[in-house]
Amino acid sequence: MSDDCRSASSIWGDVEYTAIRELRGPLAVVEGVTGVGWDEFVRITLESGEQRHGLVLEVDRGLAVVQVLEDTTGMDPRGIRVAFTGGPLRIPVGPGWLGRVCNGRGDPIDGGPPVFGHTSVAVGGSPINPLRREPPSEPVLTGVGAVDALTTLVRGQKLPVFSTAGLPHLELAAQIAAQSTAGGESFSVVFAGMGLTHPDASFVRDALEERSAAGELVLLLNTADDPVIERILTPRLALTIAEELAFTSGRHVLVVMSDMTSYAEALREVSAARGEIPARRAYPGYLYSDLASLYERCGRLRGRPGSVTVLPVLTMPAGDITHPVPDLTGYITEGQIVLSRETHALGVYPPVDALSSLSRLMRKGAGPGRTRADHLDIAAQLLAALARARQVRELADLVGEAALSPTDRRHLVFEEAFLRRFVDQRRDQSRPLDQTLETAWQVLLTLPRSQLSMLPAALLDAHGAREDPGAEEEDSGENSERSMEYGERSMEYDERGAVE
Amino acid sequence: MRTPAPDEVEAALEPVRTELLRAAHAETVALLTRADREAAELLDGARAEARTILEEARREGEAQGAAAARDVRARARRAARAHELTARREAYEELRRRVTERVRELRNAPHYASVLGRLTGHTRRLLGPDAEVIVHPEGGLVARVPGRRVDCTLDALAARALDRAGAEAETLWAP
Repeated sequence: MSDDCRSASSIWGDVEYTAIRELRGPLAVVEGVTGVGWDEFVRITLESGEQRHGLVLEVDRGLAVVQVLEDTTGMDPRGIRVAFTGGPLRIPVGPGWLGRVCNGRGDPIDGGPPVFGHTSVAVGGSPINPLRREPPSEPVLTGVGAVDALTTLVRGQKLPVFSTAGLPHLELAAQIAAQSTAGGESFSVVFAGMGLTHPDASFVRDALEERSAAGELVLLLNTADDPVIERILTPRLALTIAEELAFTSGRHVLVVMSDMTSYAEALREVSAARGEIPARRAYPGYLYSDLASLYERCGRLRGRPGSVTVLPVLTMPAGDITHPVPDLTGYITEGQIVLSRETHALGVYPPVDALSSLSRLMRKGAGPGRTRADHLDIAAQLLAALARARQVRELADLVGEAALSPTDRRHLVFEEAFLRRFVDQRRDQSRPLDQTLETAWQVLLTLPRSQLSMLPAALLDAHGAREDPGAEEEDSGENSERSMEYGERSMEYDERGAVE
Repeated sequence: MRTPAPDEVEAALEPVRTELLRAAHAETVALLTRADREAAELLDGARAEARTILEEARREGEAQGAAAARDVRARARRAARAHELTARREAYEELRRRVTERVRELRNAPHYASVLGRLTGHTRRLLGPDAEVIVHPEGGLVARVPGRRVDCTLDALAARALDRAGAEAETLWAP
């Protein structure tokens, strides 16, 4: 980044320090410094003219410990010049970021010039006065049926995706980033990829190509082989860019951060290099406040247009939801979307575990005047029926399906329909909310009317709910599986033939 | 008991024969009807299945075609965008090169000595009066004390000025 320190450094040249006591791993110890502050951004010039960057970790009398973002590999302590910029890392902000692809440090990797902006802002951000916060409201529609209907994302909310390795969380994050909208209002996405493998990074670029070309996307890609310290900057950069796009330019901005576990591991690595006392699973004791300093940057501001919505994706090592990263994230965020290995094994995408997922602010973004009058009732009824279906499934494991009551058996049919017809959708399919809710109705109507007690009678009448939905299906013979339908019919004929 | 005359047997068996024949006919008709119906149904089923397969194939073909078209469009868009960004970067690099050249020309300006004097004053303010000041062959100067250094070469000054200009560079490609 060529212009981070623009506002801080003098055009006539500042003092550069040349006495390097030691280079160790990512750390450089500089001697004889004066007036250097903690977390100050550092520009390091090598003898070859190559520039690297760093952050001040520690200052003690005349000694400064600098963490080199690009690592100290290949550096000769005798030929290094270190300039302190007098302030924390700043980046230019503005719409110049839209349509650009940069690395985790904000340097372009799309072949273009540096990103310019008329103002520069410290990436650390500043906490929002709680009294200036406007409560989140109005939905962000993701085009993913299961998310929109059951865990509606609300503008200004922070809603994490909890996943485990091997599940398609990156696909889901990219799909949400590619197709989310804010009801026709100006909308942008900042996607911060952290610790991505190269195939993953290239997948994300491809998936978001259209949005990027439309000038609605900022893509920051920190790959797995990039310097680990850079990974700590990536989400902060993303949020700083998003805040300006939202609160100055009046856009609704969705910040997708994947994978936050990778970020937390980078934090652990840096903490270990600093020699800090480790806490749970060797993560630093301040993991909670560090994560909060990121997640709490979302929201809406009184008297300002726009909103920042955060969708962090994190993988739970070994599927352990009590692991410090999901555990602490869960304390800060407003709900979670949980992906399930079992649903994934059934070949359903997205493998959302609806019963474990929750959007705590859903009521502020869905329902009459926001999405559709029947939205909240449908969601409640779907979840209630699903909970019953899960109990029935457990019972069936014990006593066998044949011993279940007809109503219980209808719940199993409902669960199957829920997964196959409602949750399952193509990875490139953006499902409009109306279609999602209509599909939800179709799925609910596989249950007897008496089981749909959470839906108003008028709506049940309007949708033709019946006490014997199974009979209706047989009568009409309408089934999505045509080949099965034919098979069933020919079996009926065989039976009739035998009677004759 | 006597053996019945053949014509009597004939007469007695007639109803049985008639009935057997009728039953056989009826069964044949029923069988034929059923066979016809089953054949018709099988045919209907097969036709429906063929239609489904065709529709499915058509849908799949359309989806594949659309996906391929989307890929081609995405590739073209990406190539166009890459060209545009490369052109911008080249314009920006050219600007930096020209600005650096123009600043270097300051060496031949009549007031160059006074520029050096001001730069020397600046470096001594930062590093103290004992600083060693070396005039750089490319223009400007570098001042040093042990462990510290100030770079006031003309190239460095030009680079810093360009960095400060920042967003103004965008006028190079702004419509």
